[in-house]
Amino acid sequence: MRKFEPKIVCFLCKWCTYAGADLAGTSRLQYPPNGVVIKTLCSSRIDPEHILYAFQQGSDGVFIGGCHPGDCHYQSGNYKTKRRVLLLQNMLKQLGLDSKRLRLEWISASEGNKFAAAMKEFTETIRNLGPIPKLDKEENNQ
Amino acid sequence: MKLPYYPGCTLKANAKHFEDSAQKALEKLDYQLEEMKDWVCCGTVFSMTSDDLMLQLSSIRNLLRAEKQDLKELVTLCSMCYNTLKQSKDFVEGDLDNLEKVNNFMYMEEAEYKGQVEIYHLLTLLRDRIKFETVKAEVTNPLKGLKVGAYYGCLLVRPQKFAIDDFEAPTIMEDLVESLGAEAIDFQFKLECCGAYQTITKKNISVKRAYEILDSAQRVGCDAIITSCPLCAYNLDFLQKEIEKEYVDFQTIPIFYFTELMAVALGVGWNGEWTKKHDVDPEPILIEKNLI
Amino acid sequence: MKRIGVFICHCGVNIADTVDVELLTEKLADYPGIAHIENYMFMCSDPGQNLIKDAVKTHKLDSVVVAACSPTLHESTFQNAIAEVDVNKYQLEIGNIREQCSWVHSNKEEGTRKAELIIKTAVEKAKLNQSLDPVSAPLTKRVLIIGGGIAGIQAALDIADGGYEVVLVEKKPSIGGHMIQLSETFPTLDCSQCILTPKMVQLGKHKNIKLYVNSEVEAIGGFMGNFKVTIKRQPQYVDPDKCTLCDDCTVACPVVVPSEYDEGLTYRKAIYVPFPQAIPASYTIDTENCLGFEPIACGECKKACLAEAIDYDKKEEIFIEDFGAVILATGFDLYPVENIPEYGYGKYLDVLNGLQFERILSATGPTGGKMLRPSDGKVPKEIVFIQCSGSRDPERHKPYCSKICCMYTLKHAKLYKHKVHDGQPYIFYIDIRSGGKRYEEFIQEGVSEDGIVYIRGKVAKIYKEGDKMIVHGMDTLTGHKVKIKADMVVLAQSIVPSEGSGKLFKTLKLGTDSNGFMSEAHPKLRPLESLQSGFYLAGAGQGPKDIPDAVSQASGAAAKVLALMSNDEVQHEPIIATVDENKCSGCSVCIGTCPYGARELNEDRIAAVNDILCEGCGACISACPSGASQQKNLTDDQIMKMINVIIN
Repeated sequence: MRKFEPKIVCFLCKWCTYAGADLAGTSRLQYPPNGVVIKTLCSSRIDPEHILYAFQQGSDGVFIGGCHPGDCHYQSGNYKTKRRVLLLQNMLKQLGLDSKRLRLEWISASEGNKFAAAMKEFTETIRNLGPIPKLDKEENNQ
Repeated sequence: MKLPYYPGCTLKANAKHFEDSAQKALEKLDYQLEEMKDWVCCGTVFSMTSDDLMLQLSSIRNLLRAEKQDLKELVTLCSMCYNTLKQSKDFVEGDLDNLEKVNNFMYMEEAEYKGQVEIYHLLTLLRDRIKFETVKAEVTNPLKGLKVGAYYGCLLVRPQKFAIDDFEAPTIMEDLVESLGAEAIDFQFKLECCGAYQTITKKNISVKRAYEILDSAQRVGCDAIITSCPLCAYNLDFLQKEIEKEYVDFQTIPIFYFTELMAVALGVGWNGEWTKKHDVDPEPILIEKNLI
Repeated sequence: MKRIGVFICHCGVNIADTVDVELLTEKLADYPGIAHIENYMFMCSDPGQNLIKDAVKTHKLDSVVVAACSPTLHESTFQNAIAEVDVNKYQLEIGNIREQCSWVHSNKEEGTRKAELIIKTAVEKAKLNQSLDPVSAPLTKRVLIIGGGIAGIQAALDIADGGYEVVLVEKKPSIGGHMIQLSETFPTLDCSQCILTPKMVQLGKHKNIKLYVNSEVEAIGGFMGNFKVTIKRQPQYVDPDKCTLCDDCTVACPVVVPSEYDEGLTYRKAIYVPFPQAIPASYTIDTENCLGFEPIACGECKKACLAEAIDYDKKEEIFIEDFGAVILATGFDLYPVENIPEYGYGKYLDVLNGLQFERILSATGPTGGKMLRPSDGKVPKEIVFIQCSGSRDPERHKPYCSKICCMYTLKHAKLYKHKVHDGQPYIFYIDIRSGGKRYEEFIQEGVSEDGIVYIRGKVAKIYKEGDKMIVHGMDTLTGHKVKIKADMVVLAQSIVPSEGSGKLFKTLKLGTDSNGFMSEAHPKLRPLESLQSGFYLAGAGQGPKDIPDAVSQASGAAAKVLALMSNDEVQHEPIIATVDENKCSGCSVCIGTCPYGARELNEDRIAAVNDILCEGCGACISACPSGASQQKNLTDDQIMKMINVIIN
């Protein structure tokens, strides 16, 4: 059987975590290639709908990276993200998904090693959780 | 209240008076030292060798046995036991690799160490749990007029991580001394090395170190010095006759364990047996100050 | 359909080693929307850029994807390149296949697969990218400078001379900073006050400069070109217009306080002029110590003031002013030596900090320039200087080198030697760092001509014996312990960001490094600016530096500001929010989420976007329940399409 390779969507804010991911690159830190990045100006741009859409389409995990509390380039965007993610994690449980499939991390531009570690750890978590169950009702009935 | 207690070897032999005075003094404060069962050698300072696993085993064995006896904490009197046990505890704490390694050697114990035992030196308990104010309130024979220098040596304050107080400028023993009614004298060499085990092979080094420490205390007017380490106590006390030979102007000065002065101040009185364990006679200064 | 060109860079072997560039070029050629694809060794090189430009012309491309290094490096390079061939710069997308792919993975198969996904997401986004024009906003041609030390003074004068209005805010009662406390400066040994006071006077009189002393910045709003700044000024209680500087009030004042200017070596009254050359030259009442504010008022100074200049009822004032740019020159303070208890600072009068020693050396200092020690007024015959007191000590204190201490310690030792010819200075050091024009020569002269003894090693402890300070140290070159019986000890403490600057940086949302110094936008190429547009950095608040460096950086920052001021308007990124008026129901959820006040209900009850105020964070867009709000070039549609690609 082919080993399960998780598909992960990563939303990174331009100011902190995207720069942190770049630093992981310049420092040549190695991490699994499962996550692919979508860059936003701020983590608060990420709509819960985007996350649900990703899960619905078959993403095994969604990773969101933002600035540390107090460091948001847009003053308070990361607090909004935090609230949205907490609520959404509760909702995921109701949908029968493990809330660990959605992860929010604060990673600054100087924390390349934290980014690499988070990628490793998150990929491993998702690998252990296994592929995402189909969210589509009809397909489940088949 | 009972305090689970780890004595270590010296407190059962050369430093018997350290244990005895501590027990008696603590009883006045309503605390009892309750010796843990089946204790073995603490491993002494060899466990400071950074990467030799074998040297951690003795300490860990003690901690494991304490755990088996449902003890959450251990109190030590000897600085060396404190430091050794604390370092070994730290060696496995939060490091699952190290914990697994040492546990591989614990097959005789039929249990595994889980890392749940906290180590305290009696001084920190006096400061944080029993409180110096309580000690002060219980003093019946204040050590009025006695000028005491507190000698820390290395093991109470280094490495920084295990220091029981500020590691460059500790005052915990001075604070205790003040609560006993004596005058604490800050002297410059209170953190200097006593010469430690050099005393066995290169005695002249320890003699010089001890002289410098005692001299620096005497210059600022100390009548007596207190310590919590049997090795320091040995070097500072028993080398004084060598110092007298080398340095003609040297005057001897008595060396106490801090618990002996506690016992005197808390009204336990002095025990003639304790005197026998000292080299420089400690009684004259206590008599001079009308304390015994 | 759009015609998209994809250009994959090898970056030498940096990308090509882990990503099979040739294979990708072949594989993606048929991907929907890609009209042209090719690869090249170094896309950022001139030939690489020409290759893109030629391809745009030949293949009539209207959008370009470059798969190369991180956009922070070359996004603008390629934007400019396509702009030259008339493609709007917002039609460019970067696929980051180096920092976020080839450098972090080693398996070529995996790397290639991920790079493919990255390029496809970029193509999907490019398909829906619009051509945009930068948003223009008016520019306020006034500049705020925070901090009145040498850096702030220099920047203020440069900009004011350039013809623009400057407001300088200083929290102390006078400008001058730490430089006014210094005796002489290295390596020329010219008098610090003599070179600084003319500049201070010039600043005080400049028609383009407004000075707020006893003042601090309370809040800031707006953006580059249009800041609205709230400045709070503490009252000085003495009307400078009425005051005749007769000094009767200080004679009458019964309160004695350690003088800040003399670093606590002398005393001042509660009503005082900070120092003789102070600008503005006027009296201030120090409310913390003045008895006049107690319930039972003292009022002695008011009684003594014949000019009736004193008014205890003055209140703090708030000013709100507009600025186009801000220069931060917040300066430094010394690391508190109380943190190094083994050196006995504060316990022994004859253990001094570097600034206290400057005051003793200074002709205007507590001893009138005579070399006398504070405890008993004797001439010290042996002095020990300790460099790196708190610096280069990551475990206990500060990890960094404070840069100026090697030089000023030698200056101290030299000046001491000039005053006490038979005296002996010793300097404990870790390394001597004398990079700077004529700095190394200065050190060598000190050793050969002035007989200064350098001891390589650290000091373990200092204590007092009789009237001597006993210094215990280690000479690491000989491996011996050293014991010096000194008459005086001078500590060269680390330079730390000035007190209160951390709070200010938080208010202004400015980034700092782990030591609290302001972060520059780029450590090498943009050292004069903050990453926050419109903020410029000068002086030791950005990192320890000596006077010439602080002045250079201040003039540099001023030049940056002057360049900005020479524009008629500022432009800012158009990646902002838009609203679809047909979908907007006017629910106003977005208005609450916007930190900039950029969303507002218009007369048609549509939550319109103020293009100038919008910074493009997108918080309002994800809050919008009807999907009416969108971000330009990062719409929900674009994000969903990218997600589709990642999941296949």
